[in-house]
Amino acid sequence: MNKTLKAALACSTAMIGTSALAQDDTYTIGITQNNVGVDSYQTTYEQAFIAAAEANDNVEVVVLDAGGDVARQIAQMEDLIQQEVDAIIIWPTNGEAVIPAVRKADQAGIPVVVTNSNIAEAGFDFVASFSGPDNITQGSRSAEIMCDRFKELGIADEARVVEITGQPGYTTAIERSDGFQDRLPEVCPNVELVESQPGDWNREKSQQVMEAFLVKYDDIDGVYAGDDNMGVGALNAAKAAGRDGITFVGATNFAVGYEAMGEGDYWGSIYQSPVDDAEAALRTAIDVLDGEDVPFLNYFDTPKITQDNMDEFDKPVF
Amino acid sequence: MFTERRKDLLKQGAIWGFIVLELAFFSIAGNYLSVTDTAFMDFDNMLLLLKQSAPIGIIALGMTIIMINGNIDLSVGATFALAAIVMLDSMTWPFMQALGDWAIPLAWGFALLTGVVLGAINGLIVWKTGVDAFIVTLGSMLGFRGLVFMYNGEQPTSHLNWTLVDFAEAQFLGLHTASWFLLAVALILWLVMTRTVHGRNAYAIGNNRDAAVNAGIRVGPHFLLNFMLIGFLAALSAVVFYSESGSVNPNDGMLYELWAITAVVLGGTKLAGGYGSIVSTLGGVIAIQLLRKGLGHIGADTETVNLVIGLILIAVLFLDRQLNRKGKEELKT
Repeated sequence: MNKTLKAALACSTAMIGTSALAQDDTYTIGITQNNVGVDSYQTTYEQAFIAAAEANDNVEVVVLDAGGDVARQIAQMEDLIQQEVDAIIIWPTNGEAVIPAVRKADQAGIPVVVTNSNIAEAGFDFVASFSGPDNITQGSRSAEIMCDRFKELGIADEARVVEITGQPGYTTAIERSDGFQDRLPEVCPNVELVESQPGDWNREKSQQVMEAFLVKYDDIDGVYAGDDNMGVGALNAAKAAGRDGITFVGATNFAVGYEAMGEGDYWGSIYQSPVDDAEAALRTAIDVLDGEDVPFLNYFDTPKITQDNMDEFDKPVF
Repeated sequence: MFTERRKDLLKQGAIWGFIVLELAFFSIAGNYLSVTDTAFMDFDNMLLLLKQSAPIGIIALGMTIIMINGNIDLSVGATFALAAIVMLDSMTWPFMQALGDWAIPLAWGFALLTGVVLGAINGLIVWKTGVDAFIVTLGSMLGFRGLVFMYNGEQPTSHLNWTLVDFAEAQFLGLHTASWFLLAVALILWLVMTRTVHGRNAYAIGNNRDAAVNAGIRVGPHFLLNFMLIGFLAALSAVVFYSESGSVNPNDGMLYELWAITAVVLGGTKLAGGYGSIVSTLGGVIAIQLLRKGLGHIGADTETVNLVIGLILIAVLFLDRQLNRKGKEELKT
C-alpha cells in the first residue's frame, strides 16, 4: 500500500513538473462562497463567476460553497490550500472567524482575495486585496441623488431628512451612513438631517421606525435608507399615514425598490450588480497573480439609479 | 451465536467498506475531473480529513450513547453555539483579561461547564417528567438558541487570540489538535461503552427499558448522566473549533444535531436504541466529511453532498431492516 502510494506520488510529482511547463499561463483559482441559494444575489454571483471563468482560457476554477457554515468554510480553505491552488477568493461567512484560515493560506504563499464583504481589520495583513462595493461611495452617491431631487423640487434650502440605517455594528451599515452624512452637507448645506435610527435591514422594523418618525415630525421631505428593503418599509408607513411628497432614496437597489420606482413612489437608489461583483473578484485575483499593482481596496463601480434612468438597468434579481 | 457475531461484523464493517469505496472513487475520479495536481489520497489530505471531522464528530460520538439509550438530543447545535459564546465572551471580561493567557483554560472551563449545565437541564426534565427526549430537546433546542440570540442579538461574538489559534492549529505527531481531541473522545467513550457497567446499562436500557428497571438499573440518573455527557461533548466540540476561529455567528451549529444523528445512523446505530457502536459512528463521521471533501475535489456542486448522503442514509436503513428482520421473526415464533 505504502509503496504504491509513494509510486503514485512520484508519478504525480513528475506530472506536475511537465504540466507546469506545458501550461504555465494557466491559473487555478479556488473560491469559497458564503451561502449560495440563500438569496438570488449570491446565486447570480455564482453563475456569473463560473461564466467569467469559462470565458477565460487561462483560468481554471474550483467553486465551493460554505452553505453559511463557518466550519465548512474553514475546511474548504484548508482543502484549497492543500490542493495548492494559485489563489483563493473568499466570501466570508463571518468576517472574523475566517482570519486564522486566511492566515494559513498566506503562510502557504497563496494570495487571498476577499470578495463582497471584507474581513475584520485584524486579518488585513494576510489579504492581497478586497474586491467589492464601496459602501462609502454608495452612501455619498445617495446623498447626491437626494440633493439633486430636492433642487429639482426647489426645496433644497429647507428640506428635512430622516435616516434609517442597517444593523448597528455592521461595517456596511456604518459606512453607508457615514458616506451619506458626510456628503449631504457638502452638496446641500441647508438640508437638515433630523434623526437617524436603525432598521436592522428589516422591512417591518423600518416601517415601525418610520411610523414613529411620522408621528414625531410633521415635516419630512426625504428618507434615506441603508437599502431598498428598509426604504420600502418606510414607504409603506408613509402611505399608510397618507403622507405624500416624500423623497425615498436607498443605498442599494433591490427588486422591491425597483418596482416602487416604476410605480413612481420611490425616487432612487444605487445599483449594485452581482455580475459586476463576481467579475471584479475574478479580475482582481488574476491581476494579483499577474503581479500587477492592485489596490488593497479594489472597488467596482456602483452607479446611481433613479426614476429618470431606471430603464437603462435590468430589475435586480434580489 | 456465530451468525450473530458475523452479522455484527458485517454491520460494523459496512461503514468502513463504504469509506474505502469513497476513497477509491474520489482518487480515480479526481485524476480525471480535478483541476489540481495533488492526489486525493495524499497523506496530508487524510490528516486534514480527520481534523475537519472533529466538530461534528465529537458531538456524534456522544449522540451514539444517547441513541443507544433509545433517546435523542436535538439541542446539541444550540449548546455548541452557546458554549462558544461563553468561551469567547468570557475572555473579554476585565478580570479574565487581567489574567493574560491564563484566561484561556478558565474560558474553556466556563464553556464546558455551560455545556454540562445545559445537558443537565435536558436530563433532569427527561428524568423527572418522563416526557420523550425528542420533545424535551426539541424545546430546549429552540430555548437554547433563544439564549444565544439574547446574548448578543444578531451580532457575531468575537475574540481573536493568537495564542489560542496557534494552539488549535498545532500539529503533534502529524495530527492536528482537533484530531487528538476527536480520537481521545472516541477512545474514552469506546472504553466506557465496552468495559464499564455504565456502558452495559446503556445497552440494556435501550434494549428493554422495563426489563432494565426490573433489573434494578436506575434509569433516570443514567439518562441524566448521559445528557450531561453529551452537553459536555457539544461544548468540547465548540472549545476545539472556536479556539481556532475566534468568532461565533448566532446561527452557528444549526443543523449540527441532524448531521450528528446522520453520522450515528450511518454507523449502524439503531434509532430505537439497544444497538450501536462508537467506532462505527467515527466511521460515519469520516464518511460524511470524505463525501464533502471528495465532491469538492472533483468539482461537483457542493450541495450534491446532501442528496448523496440522503440516498445513502435510506439505503443503510433499508439494509439494516433486512438484516434485522430475520432475527425478529425467530424471536416471535
